Amino acid sequence: MKRGSTFSGLIQHFRLVLQLNFRSTQALIYGYLMPVFFLLAFGSVFRGDTPPLLPEMGQILTITILGGACLGLPTALVAERERGVWRRYRLLPVPTLTLVLSTLLARLLIIGSAIVLQIFLARLVFHTPLPSHSAQLALTFLPVAFAFMGLGLLVAALANDVPAVQALGQCLFLPMILIGGVGVPLAALPAWAQEFSGFMPGRYAVDVLQRCFTDPSAGRGAGFSLVALGIIGLAAGVVGAKLFRWDVGRRGGRLAGAGLAIALLSWIAVGAAAAWTGRLQPLPTSSGYETITAAQMDQITYDDLPGDNELVTRLAPPFARSSEPHQSDEIAYKLKAWPPAHVADAGQAARNLLSVAAIADIAADLHEAEIGRAVFDELQERIGRDQLRRILAWVILSPDAGTVITTAPELGLKRHPPERIVRERSVLYAKKYLGRLLGKIRDN
Amino acid sequence: MALSSPANLSVRDLTKRYGAVEAVRGVSFEIAPGEIYGLLGPNGAGKTSIIETILGLRAPDAGAITLNGVDALAHPARTRREIGAQLQFASLQDKLTPREALNCFAAFYENAVPVEELLAQFSLTNKAAASFDSLSGGQKQRLFLALAMVNRPNLLVLDEPTAGLDPKSRRELHDLIRQLKADGRSVLVCTHYLDEAHFFCDRIGILHEGRLVASGSPEELIATSVAKTRLTFRTRQPLNAVDVGALAEVLDQYVHDDGWRVSTADANRTISALVQKLAADGNEMLDLQIQRPSLEDVFLELTKTTWSALP
Repeated sequence: MKRGSTFSGLIQHFRLVLQLNFRSTQALIYGYLMPVFFLLAFGSVFRGDTPPLLPEMGQILTITILGGACLGLPTALVAERERGVWRRYRLLPVPTLTLVLSTLLARLLIIGSAIVLQIFLARLVFHTPLPSHSAQLALTFLPVAFAFMGLGLLVAALANDVPAVQALGQCLFLPMILIGGVGVPLAALPAWAQEFSGFMPGRYAVDVLQRCFTDPSAGRGAGFSLVALGIIGLAAGVVGAKLFRWDVGRRGGRLAGAGLAIALLSWIAVGAAAAWTGRLQPLPTSSGYETITAAQMDQITYDDLPGDNELVTRLAPPFARSSEPHQSDEIAYKLKAWPPAHVADAGQAARNLLSVAAIADIAADLHEAEIGRAVFDELQERIGRDQLRRILAWVILSPDAGTVITTAPELGLKRHPPERIVRERSVLYAKKYLGRLLGKIRDN
Repeated sequence: MALSSPANLSVRDLTKRYGAVEAVRGVSFEIAPGEIYGLLGPNGAGKTSIIETILGLRAPDAGAITLNGVDALAHPARTRREIGAQLQFASLQDKLTPREALNCFAAFYENAVPVEELLAQFSLTNKAAASFDSLSGGQKQRLFLALAMVNRPNLLVLDEPTAGLDPKSRRELHDLIRQLKADGRSVLVCTHYLDEAHFFCDRIGILHEGRLVASGSPEELIATSVAKTRLTFRTRQPLNAVDVGALAEVLDQYVHDDGWRVSTADANRTISALVQKLAADGNEMLDLQIQRPSLEDVFLELTKTTWSALP
């Protein structure tokens, strides 16, 4: 025998698992219908994104992998064990774990197909851009699926029956969805939950998957998340394989407790390492600009704006045509190094930069028009076009949100005008910038 | 389907414990090539534990098992390649078809029986594309037998192969098992049904509380029974107890329905005396039944089981 027949047997088994999956109504509902439902649910909430749903794709795909691996996989394994299917498999002249492996590979394909479906459906229904790094997404999917399928295998080993799978699976699923950065965006969670999420694999899965959609530098910086997923998946997978039960009557007993402890230790180790390396610092509170919709932007009017050469909110033409290029270079240089422009929350960073233009305007600075132009250029360089539109609209529609800076001596702006006036001028500059970005004001 | 080599299973001093419970206690038996060996015993006697240990599903606490002279415990994968098995507590996925199941299982063996041949042999060709959950109980059992045969085994292990089947399906399976013997295969079969064990087993081992308390051909076992032949009869004119008790070789008697049931040391002499008595009295026999000692009597004597414990 034996290698050839073992391999052909495992191929047959792999095919069989796939075929049976597509014949099961329950598997189709949980494997494909639920992911589509989640996509539509996210789409209905976040369709105002520009582009729609792009910032949430990491979360959506993580939910699909999590559901397929931590609920779908163990449910199928335990249901077959309860029926006695694995007792029959056990009579085959191959180690039972090779059949488990073939089941896992089939599950990998099933989950992968659900993800592809979601990506194309998001494109079709919401016009969400395809991932900017498709090959990397395919490669990133593997460690994420590895981590969650390891957990699924562990659930199958620990659960005595299908209801127990649901209970254990939900113990993994719900915390990650609610406070693990998978269902609710990490930035929207309270500080304690953000820190807690570092001890769960969902956060790392969202991180690596989201990078494939929106991070221009792709995988750079994802090393820790990938290692975290690897450790969690390896611990759970090894324990799950060791405790795998082909028969209803065989229970893990003390071994099961020890295995569970080892798996949980890997979570704790990953979380502790993340905390120790400063990765669990709470993210700044979300500004709220994320929820600004295209319709809201359309309602903004520009009729009340003063001209660019009038007393209020002066704005120099683009620097290429400026008569004082030397001066603008110095302003731009200072702005780039100005710390308030570097805060993590892009909305607040933009509001800080707008404050600079506003203070210069109120103070009637000699270079107020150039400063206004330098701020606009800096905003465009620092923030993506679509995000900047939303941020500027948010500043206009929510003039009292966030904080403003009322003096910036490090930029040569030593006056200290009242906050109220800084906010008013910030709104005017925001309108001038947004109008230009949307093509409603000519930029000359 | 040609056999690769004859089977010869030897089980020696097999012991299996589950915690404090000793389910199998030093059981020994052998199965010769082409022999059907039946394991009988009440629930909990250790039948399934023995079978699962032979198949390598459980590790014994003591004892040795050899298959064709090879240590089966040391080479479980080889054992599984050479044995075909049908388990009582095993099933398949609802939406799996017989052809798919056979194809899948056959793919694990080098010299598997062609699937279409198995489908035909076990009368499943018409159901080859039907889902498992749509098969009748008999069809499912035939499929499990076909799966057990997929690797051309020398030894077949069958655990309660006819449990839960209707009489027609049971009879079909009896024919199949006898055909397996005719093909020269050895069969180890566990069954609750004493009549079918008597019907197709060459030798029978009776298990009681984990021990093998008797082993031999059905006839040899029956010969050891202390039970006597029973006669049940009715006459046109009622007979009294004195007359019945006076019949030759009658050991005891009691009223049964409208007639009598007697135990006799020699059925021929008792019947002869009864006929003479009826002729002398001008009486007439309405019906007569003869019940000779059976495997059931032996089983009950050896396992001290009550009638109600029997299926």
